Amino acid sequence: MKEKTATIFDIGRFRNTDGPGIRTIIFFKGCPLRCQWCSNPFGFSPRAQLAVNPARCTGCGACVEACPHGVNAVVPGNPVAVAFGACQVCGACVKVCSAGTRMISGKEYTARQLYQEAAKDAAFYRKGGGGVTLSGGEVLLQHEVAAETLRLCRSNYLNTCIETSAFAPWEHLWQVAQYCHTVFVDLKHMDSAKHQELTGVPNELILENIRRLCRELPKRGGKVIVRMPLVPGYNDDDQAVAAGARFVATLDNTPELNLLPYHNLGESKYEMIGADYGLHHVESRKRRDPRLLEIQSLCQAQAPANRVSLGGDAIELQ
Amino acid sequence: MSTATPTGTAALGQNLRAGTIAKVGSTKRVQELNGMLHGNRPNVDITRARVYTKVYRETEGMPAMMRRYKASAAVYRALSDVVYDHEQLVGWPTKRIRGANFAIELHAHWLAEDLPNLRNRIYDPFEITDEDYKELEEDLLPYWKDKTMAVQWGHYVTEHEWNRAQFGGVSDVSNYLCANGSHFIPAWTDVIQHGFVKYYEEAKALRAALDPNDPTSIDKKIFYDGIIEVLEAIRDWGERLSASCAKKAEGETDPKRKQELENMAAMMKRVPWGPATSFYDAMETAWAVCFFLFVEGAGPSITWSRIDQYLYPYYKADMEKGILTPESALELIEELYIRVNTNVWFQSSQMAYIFGGYYRYPHLDLGGLDENGKDASNELSYLFLRAMRYVRTTAPTVSLMLHQKTPESLLLEACELAAEGMGHPSFFNVEGLYTMLEHRAAGPEGYSNYSRKEIMKYGSPIGCVEPGVEGRQYGHTDSGIINVAGAALMAVTNGVMPAESDNMFAGKLLTYESGAPDSFQTFEEFYAAVKAQVKYAIEECHANLVICEKLLAEQFNLPTFTVLLEGALEKAKDATAGGAKVNIGPTMQMVGFATMADSVAAIKKVVFDDKEATLQEVCDACMNNFKGYEALRAKLIAAPKFGNDDDYVDEIAADLWKWFSDCTVRLKMYRGHYCDAAIQMVQSNVGYGAMTGATPNGRLAGMPISDTMSASQQADTNGPTAAARSYGKLDYGAYSNGTLLNMWISQSEMIEQ
Repeated sequence: MKEKTATIFDIGRFRNTDGPGIRTIIFFKGCPLRCQWCSNPFGFSPRAQLAVNPARCTGCGACVEACPHGVNAVVPGNPVAVAFGACQVCGACVKVCSAGTRMISGKEYTARQLYQEAAKDAAFYRKGGGGVTLSGGEVLLQHEVAAETLRLCRSNYLNTCIETSAFAPWEHLWQVAQYCHTVFVDLKHMDSAKHQELTGVPNELILENIRRLCRELPKRGGKVIVRMPLVPGYNDDDQAVAAGARFVATLDNTPELNLLPYHNLGESKYEMIGADYGLHHVESRKRRDPRLLEIQSLCQAQAPANRVSLGGDAIELQ
Repeated sequence: MSTATPTGTAALGQNLRAGTIAKVGSTKRVQELNGMLHGNRPNVDITRARVYTKVYRETEGMPAMMRRYKASAAVYRALSDVVYDHEQLVGWPTKRIRGANFAIELHAHWLAEDLPNLRNRIYDPFEITDEDYKELEEDLLPYWKDKTMAVQWGHYVTEHEWNRAQFGGVSDVSNYLCANGSHFIPAWTDVIQHGFVKYYEEAKALRAALDPNDPTSIDKKIFYDGIIEVLEAIRDWGERLSASCAKKAEGETDPKRKQELENMAAMMKRVPWGPATSFYDAMETAWAVCFFLFVEGAGPSITWSRIDQYLYPYYKADMEKGILTPESALELIEELYIRVNTNVWFQSSQMAYIFGGYYRYPHLDLGGLDENGKDASNELSYLFLRAMRYVRTTAPTVSLMLHQKTPESLLLEACELAAEGMGHPSFFNVEGLYTMLEHRAAGPEGYSNYSRKEIMKYGSPIGCVEPGVEGRQYGHTDSGIINVAGAALMAVTNGVMPAESDNMFAGKLLTYESGAPDSFQTFEEFYAAVKAQVKYAIEECHANLVICEKLLAEQFNLPTFTVLLEGALEKAKDATAGGAKVNIGPTMQMVGFATMADSVAAIKKVVFDDKEATLQEVCDACMNNFKGYEALRAKLIAAPKFGNDDDYVDEIAADLWKWFSDCTVRLKMYRGHYCDAAIQMVQSNVGYGAMTGATPNGRLAGMPISDTMSASQQADTNGPTAAARSYGKLDYGAYSNGTLLNMWISQSEMIEQ
């Protein structure tokens, strides 16, 4: 039987956020959420897809000739127009593009292959407790391959983390989380209706999973870090962050609350897959932004027993 | 740290010239000296040229060695005795700071033609006074222009060979022609401990013991007489500088400075002639010996080697006596750094094109192991790192010799310096260094003459990265240069350099016909042609270098280098003639390694595996600099590239890497030892790239080829760990003349902005 594979849209090496030390981050494709600020839109669709960087397009039209489905059209003076919806992901245009603007995002890997990718940098993980982090997209959508990957990593002494929305049946979450040293789980809004508006899904399942995870994972020696992405004007008002912090304070085993400043680095990726970014008007925030420091102390006041950190790389190391 | 804030490029330029923004350092004194250094532009000093011409005119008909030694001595007697304000160390190699007391006997042939451009040439222009210009043009250059080594080498080869070895840009010897006397670690421990007087007495005793009836004594007599004459000139230089300090002290009104000058006068009576009695003395010897060698030799890379080791006994003793503090030691180290920058490299216009930047590669090494395998670092290791963070000068190259026992704090101190972004320090893995030294110049199966203890106690990198052992090794270590990116291109173009290139041989046969592009049926056949072109380039280079070595040994002796080689006096052999325990090279340097590997892998992928183009099409594309071949170029660019941890290309790279050293190490050199391979030529990838047509990795004509052993520019897209894994697949022991990796990590990757 053919080994089960997962669709991966990127493997990033030498990353120093999302876990301790030097890390390899594996991005799983496909996500049930549509957070408006998402910086990884390549992770939305569970399937392989065409991505085009219009900034480098010379408008030569080679892709127009190559495409059997008429997806591309020359627009004089502008980059080639792409009808992404009609694309069958055959890759013919990628081969002929002399400017290198095109790629197919999404490639199949077995768990063993993913482990081998992660193990390549094992020598660099040793100092500083580095290892592998599974991210996305939503890693739990492909929980079987994810769990097997982590099991292989764990049994070969690599440090393991996942980043998840926790929007999945508990069994899927636990199947993956049980192999983790650290689980990063997002808390986007405490109000379910507002959560639905911002991310496309309600939050009851998420909150229940977080509560249960904080109870169960420490029993196996793992730890949970609750992350709050702070998007100016969307979920960073005093009331919302205070409610989040209060929730974290009620969780078992006093998990760390990690506040993530908003950045717009993902904006250009939307154009590359023919999607719209709704947060054009929101500016990135520096870590030392006064508002962020204010939120940090506000959260600390609400969750006095928990560590409240600011910035993805400010988490407490083992 | 800077005392003025520039407000734009113009202000930056002005402030640089005025030496204001360069006024950095841990004390006021150091700041003033740094300002003085940067207030001077590189300039030509004709003192050495004038002295050489006078001596050679007066000694027509005398033995070559006698003339050469007399000239060296006469140069020391003519050196300036200027003493500037603020300085504590004494003596300068030139009349003006940042002067080049250049070797006319090596440079005259090109300078006779190019003198009018010297002030305004694009790379490394030099200031020169009208008087000196006139003297050079009318008197000195006409005497020498048909006597240089390059001209004499020309008598042994055809004009075509002479040209292509200097201007063809594939098999290049031009770095060797004007750089006699270079890449050297003198016997620091010995000379600091005993002074030159030791060698003087030794030479006198050996001279007295010669048996005039022994036929082998004839040349030895000339050797010892010459050495004695040179050493007496060094002794008298110390006396002269001492008098100059004393004179300056007399006229000094500030009592503090007066005392300093009197101390300097007293010190110059002790060293470098006699044994150092303090840290201060030892630093003066380190400085004086360094610039003597830079004046006598014409090349780069006089190396301080393990300076924290041989200076430490003096530092420790002075600290115990209470006559030195870490701060005053730091101030002296900073002054030493500033002074060594005065040694600018004077190069031909052709070489400045490749090695521009005046940098003369002085180098020092910190940390490492002692002869028993224990960590050798001490307080000085930290001070020498810290000093560079204060003075921020280009020279010397500060290096850390890393090993498993390196203290974390020393490594972090070095990382702090690295984070300044100045290119300091270099990191060397001593395990690799020891392996290289064990096989240094020893041929395919051999072991070098070094003992393990010698290697551990005195071994260190020289210049860029070349392994050496203090006082026991001599030889030019970046002599032959093989542009393998060009050689691989020749395998595609059947030996022709594409017309679309800035090369004397553009559109012409440059190497040899290894097969027309359509004659290769399989990848293996093509790959054999690549290897054959590389081998051809190496062997041609070797043949040229051997001729040059013979000429150097016969006519271009180096007495000061010789006395600083252990055992050379006893052997009565000049450094150029084999006086050292281990005689290096000339060696063979590879440039454009990743460009070659990427080019071969791209052809394997696109032509032989995917069959998306023919080799003839790739050849045509390179010949036309990819004009009209944009789609093919995209495919070649998309092929696997070295530096991404991809075995498809990394295996080709590792095999070609080994092939290069296999070709060099079996070649025997003039002085009897074997040719070592290296990959270490910093910055030359730009010059050689400019001379090289488009390459099959998709690189356009004239663009830089890959740097040192690093991945091609913008090709390692998988991050530094993947790149490091690719580099880890290469056999470093095979490169007994050293390897160099340049990795650039953006500051934003390391530190949150």
